[in-house]
Amino acid sequence: MWRTVTTGGAHVEEAIKQLLPPCQIKCPINEDIQRTNVLISLLPRDIESAKNGIIQIGDYLYEKNPFFNICGYICGLCELECNYKTKGGAIRRRLLKRFLSDYYTDYLNQKEELNIVKDKENVAIVGGGPGGLMCAYYLAKKGYKPTIFESSSRLGGALWLIPDYRLPDDVLSTTIDNLVRIAGIDVKFNSEVGKGKLTFERLRMQGYKAIFLAKGTPYPRILTFDGKPVEGQDLSGVLYGHTLLYEISHGNIESDYFKYRKVIVIGGGNVAFDVARSVRRLGGEVTVVCLECEDKSSRDGIPADEDEIRGAWEEGIQIVYSRGVQKIIGEAGRFKKIVSPKCTCVFDEQGFNPKFDLSDTIELDGDVLIITIGQGPDRVVLQNEMLLDERGRLAVDPHTLQSLKFRDVFIGGDVRRIGFMIEAMKEGMEAAESIHRYLRGLNMTEGRRRDFEKFDIPLRSRYKPPTEVVWIPPEQRMHFQLFERGLTLDEAIEEAKRCATCGPCVSCKACISIGFEKSLYSVQVDEDRCSGCGICVYSCNYGSAHLVEREGKIISATDMFRCKSCGMCVAACPSDARKMVEDLTYERIDKVYAALQ
Amino acid sequence: MNNFEPKLVCFSCRFSWGYLADEAQLAAQIKNWVPIICSGKIDAAHIVDAFKNGADGVLILGCPEGDCHYQDGNFEARKRVYLLRKLLSSYGIETERVRIVLSSDPEGKEILNHVRDMTETLRRMGPVKKIKPVSRALAAAKAKR
Repeated sequence: MWRTVTTGGAHVEEAIKQLLPPCQIKCPINEDIQRTNVLISLLPRDIESAKNGIIQIGDYLYEKNPFFNICGYICGLCELECNYKTKGGAIRRRLLKRFLSDYYTDYLNQKEELNIVKDKENVAIVGGGPGGLMCAYYLAKKGYKPTIFESSSRLGGALWLIPDYRLPDDVLSTTIDNLVRIAGIDVKFNSEVGKGKLTFERLRMQGYKAIFLAKGTPYPRILTFDGKPVEGQDLSGVLYGHTLLYEISHGNIESDYFKYRKVIVIGGGNVAFDVARSVRRLGGEVTVVCLECEDKSSRDGIPADEDEIRGAWEEGIQIVYSRGVQKIIGEAGRFKKIVSPKCTCVFDEQGFNPKFDLSDTIELDGDVLIITIGQGPDRVVLQNEMLLDERGRLAVDPHTLQSLKFRDVFIGGDVRRIGFMIEAMKEGMEAAESIHRYLRGLNMTEGRRRDFEKFDIPLRSRYKPPTEVVWIPPEQRMHFQLFERGLTLDEAIEEAKRCATCGPCVSCKACISIGFEKSLYSVQVDEDRCSGCGICVYSCNYGSAHLVEREGKIISATDMFRCKSCGMCVAACPSDARKMVEDLTYERIDKVYAALQ
Repeated sequence: MNNFEPKLVCFSCRFSWGYLADEAQLAAQIKNWVPIICSGKIDAAHIVDAFKNGADGVLILGCPEGDCHYQDGNFEARKRVYLLRKLLSSYGIETERVRIVLSSDPEGKEILNHVRDMTETLRRMGPVKKIKPVSRALAAAKAKR
């Protein structure tokens, strides 16, 4: 039976010398990408036998990231840094995780609860989005009793605003429901902390020894021009993208809501594209208007992902680049058109500070205007709880997430800084660590900041092209079902096999986990024998074998952090100067040879 | 010659061969079997040593082209085998006695077939004929004259 081990020698060690593969550095929670890629590549080829392995890999990922299956639909940050990008295309890690999710998500319903005695303090978590949930999960694992105070009637926060065609509802609800069960998280719904009687003070009185505030950004940002709000945002037919996505996720919008209607979406971010593509699926004729230009590589480039832009374009959505909104014009209380000047520059040295050329202005007619230019936190709560500094900004340590005003308050997720789901999760993780240190009286910062150095791609004679991503053709995807096909088992194995495994052995150990090796052994160079010929340098694909000068003599050496113990240099060395230490393979060879005689 | 039982040493890369099978079970079926982390790890000296110790043939099973976990270990192994064959044949060890197959069989059933197939070849060839290099060189010189 397919069996992997995660304990003892097979346990991944913290990266020494902070060397990691670039994908793992890019991932905010440093997921063990390489290890699980290797394990996927070794799955059996028939799905019935593979399922058991998929669950083992999933269980492993779940320990660090209980949302890994959701990442498989919507994240893929790691792919942006994959070394393979320069060799034909990044490893499709997101789809590999989605592949795991296809089998793992159902299994979550029967996954066992954490076997942990929760005998430590009560901790209040304000906000049940990815940041709050992640914090609760990590606190529960450490033996604390987390309680989530959620203002609405469901957990998940902004994850629910992701349209179903990208993240199916059932995957999201299964994941969250089971996380709450598995980690034993106490949840209080319809409990809006910071408003009315439920204040931080009350939480303290109720015995919560620390508070993590992760309320996200529930309010849409209003449209401004030249520093002043653009008039007409109260017209009928003008709405905010956030509100629309919220209503769609609650099933409050009929499937032909926008039929025969011309809809203008303002904004160039991924959320604006979620809105535009959702509206298109609800029958609307959509034009996206954004300040940014087409060229994603420039400072003023559109921030939305390439895939979103391509998807929108395929679906017949028109994109008007480099234009802003100067005026919203209505007629009889209804939205009629926008006056849209050319945007000549979006960002300057100070940051977001758009400049316009008012001599180049167009008018765009529409029936509906949807403003999706970002969102902001609920500042009333932050003010009421006195969490802001004199300049009106959140007073919080960016590394420990501890409030600078109250030692028992921690703040993270979108409310602190808007980012991707995984970034909010990372903050939840960090907050849990900080809360643990705070409550146990430990040093808040020691050993926490880690700067990683990335590995380059190993040399190989041929690099393989990535598996093709299959999208349902646009004319067939005007609905809210997934439009991207997942990988088959064979495709997943082939894709995982492409991974060049750039990272160091200590932070992978897939080979030990699967039983190929007993331990990680090392290469030793006999300096007296070594002639410094450099054949080992040539034979090493990882830049580990290199030449050094010692006492006037050139000899070869091994960079232990880059060495994969493949033994190629040992086999290549003509003077028998290289040796593998503690490697049982050679003993086995000797034994076989002894039996020959 | 009929009762000649050839001794074959088989190396197989773990990343492509038999990793889904029970290793102990396979080991019981395959004589003189060395599973190895990468075919590129097999030293030329290992192959020569096999013959020195009385083997009649060496079989190396490596990963399919382009699939090596250690990038190019299978290509390294193949290159080494090709070079070594020339050397070995000058000592009277026929090139057929060192075989390398770059393919994959996670279940490990094919390993047995490859071993059987090569054993048959070796049986037909008979044991290694040990020719002293000196006499071979003399023979060559004589032939020239």
